[in-house]
Amino acid sequence: MQFLKGNVLLPSIKHLRYFGASAVLNGKRWLPDVNFMKQFEGVALYATPEMEKYAKVYYDGRVKPIERKLKYMWLNFGPQHPAAHGVLRLILELDGEYVLRADPHIGFLHRATEKLMEYKHYNQSLPFMDRLDYVSTMCNEIGFALAVEKLLNIDVPPRAQAIRVLMSELSRVANHLLNVSGTVLDAGGITPFFWMCEEREKIYELFERVCGARVHNAYIRVGGVSQDIPIGYLDDVHEFCMKLGERCDETEDLVTGNRLYYERTAGIGAFSAHDAINLGFTGPMLRCTGVKWDLRITHPYIGYEMYDFDVPVGTFGDSYDRHLLRCMELRQSLRIINQVIDTMPEGEVKTDDSKVTMPSRAEMKTSMEALIHHFKLCTEGYNVPPGATYTSTECPKGELGIYMVADGTSKPYRVFIRPCSYLHLAGLAVLSPRMMLADISILIATIDIVFGDIDR
Amino acid sequence: MSFTLRTINVGRNVARVLFNKVCYPVSQTVAYKSDQSQAENRPTVAKLDPLQKSQLIDFGKYVSDCLPKYVQKVQITSGNELEVLVHPDGIIPALQFFKDHHSAQFVNLVDIAGMDVPSRPNRFEIIYNLLSLRYNSRIRVKTYTDELTPIDSACEVFKAANWYEREIWDMYGVFFANHPDLRRILTDYGFEGHPFRKDFPLSGYVELRYDDEQKRVVVEPLELAQEFRRFELSAPWEQFPNFRGNPVEEVTTADPKKE
Repeated sequence: MQFLKGNVLLPSIKHLRYFGASAVLNGKRWLPDVNFMKQFEGVALYATPEMEKYAKVYYDGRVKPIERKLKYMWLNFGPQHPAAHGVLRLILELDGEYVLRADPHIGFLHRATEKLMEYKHYNQSLPFMDRLDYVSTMCNEIGFALAVEKLLNIDVPPRAQAIRVLMSELSRVANHLLNVSGTVLDAGGITPFFWMCEEREKIYELFERVCGARVHNAYIRVGGVSQDIPIGYLDDVHEFCMKLGERCDETEDLVTGNRLYYERTAGIGAFSAHDAINLGFTGPMLRCTGVKWDLRITHPYIGYEMYDFDVPVGTFGDSYDRHLLRCMELRQSLRIINQVIDTMPEGEVKTDDSKVTMPSRAEMKTSMEALIHHFKLCTEGYNVPPGATYTSTECPKGELGIYMVADGTSKPYRVFIRPCSYLHLAGLAVLSPRMMLADISILIATIDIVFGDIDR
Repeated sequence: MSFTLRTINVGRNVARVLFNKVCYPVSQTVAYKSDQSQAENRPTVAKLDPLQKSQLIDFGKYVSDCLPKYVQKVQITSGNELEVLVHPDGIIPALQFFKDHHSAQFVNLVDIAGMDVPSRPNRFEIIYNLLSLRYNSRIRVKTYTDELTPIDSACEVFKAANWYEREIWDMYGVFFANHPDLRRILTDYGFEGHPFRKDFPLSGYVELRYDDEQKRVVVEPLELAQEFRRFELSAPWEQFPNFRGNPVEEVTTADPKKE
């Protein structure tokens, strides 16, 4: 009834818009009809040859994995690096943080010392030896002096030998001070480095008092030492050594029992005695594995058999052992220095043979023969009889050997210097796989390399 | 006395020395030089140990009996150092013998040195210094080669030989066959030549400088402000009349036709 009423009412209000409930359902909308749909039947596009180059997208529900080519990271632990202890270029192949291969490149400090020595006579080439291991300088000179003395077949007086022992042990102390504090510096503790460098300054002052030069002192000469030690020197050495034990205690209290340092160094770079001997390690690197081998005891030179000292030997061959070994060796060196001070013999400091050692200046100014000897020694140098020798000394870093071939003139024919740290760095390439990058810097520090020695 | 008994005695003696921690005194008052028969007590002359010398002589004879094919000469210097001269073909068997033989046990390779003597046809001499930790003694093994002949690498015998052989290749140009990684070690990356040869000049052939225009380091022929000064320092009279002949003492074996 109501519906009809709406329809009847419609013509009366034609001027109004039609608002009905069914406007949405069947209003004025266009919907496609069959004729319209007929134009979409059939093929839309035929494939042409150019369409082969288009990117084809296959609609596939399965997701394929993205293939990537992986390479390990090559890191250049470059020649200029604070942790590289000199000029070491280490090419590291890293898998994340783990080192797969380490390839040391050396030669950045190569000065052709051996070739230069062939053109200079023996006293002129003595200062080259200082510049090899420049943290413990007197020990290198001792090696050279011993080699030439062996070829000359001469012996030095006992006072000169005692002075040589004193200087050698002071150099050993200086070296171990630097190495221990340098390792702690690489592990992150900065302060022991400053404490121990202050002690090294005192050693430099002692060296300067005895020969005039702090670091590169051409003091140990063939035939003895160049001049006698000054008056009151031994008192100052004694005072220094009395206090050095306490300085080392300060550092050891901070470092040796420290859990962080132990975590950093224990187990790092451990190797067996068999590996050490086969790889040619000497010195503290060999002793940390348990082999009791010290050239001061097995082949005593410059009178070491007269002093009583122990040689510490490690157990595991890792970096912590080397740290402990060097600290103990330092204290044994102090023991030797005290014995030398107590038993320093009187006498002359150069061998009496004027054909080899220079006469004193007072004598040179008064005696004609001394003047002639001085002149001949300064210009031509002493002639060394033909022969060959291999002489080695226990440097703080290892065994420094000199293979010298003399041909009867005043210049050597061939000098081969067997460096202490050369094979230790070659061993780094063998030891460093399976270690992490942070351990590499600790390992370089405990191996105790110095590039004046390696590159010569 | 047979050689084996003598070497056993040698071993026992040094073993007793080593394990009882008695070190051999180097400065003994009893010493023999080659032309003196009484004790050496002049203060400026070195005093050597005759027992060590006789032990080394015995060992040298034993070595030349053990390796007759390769050992060409055994000599001992006046400073009591034993040298064994080996043919280059037999350097690896000789080194293996010295490392593994029970009365040798020279397990530690101390160094390998090279030496250039241009006057010889085989101009390069390779010298292996070995050390025995067990018997506390050293020995030198020498061999020779020329510029073109390779020598077998000692890397499989001693791992320490790796870098030393690289250095000899770099400095002298001696090629080592079967070396795992023979490349330059001490010279610059683009360096040409082998510096330690006697015909290579001391100041080299080239100099390097930084060129500002090319903004890199350039290599140029050498220019020195002063020419190289050679001093003729040799005295007109003979210095060592005793050394007119062979400076080292020869050790002959019992069989004269083996030398």
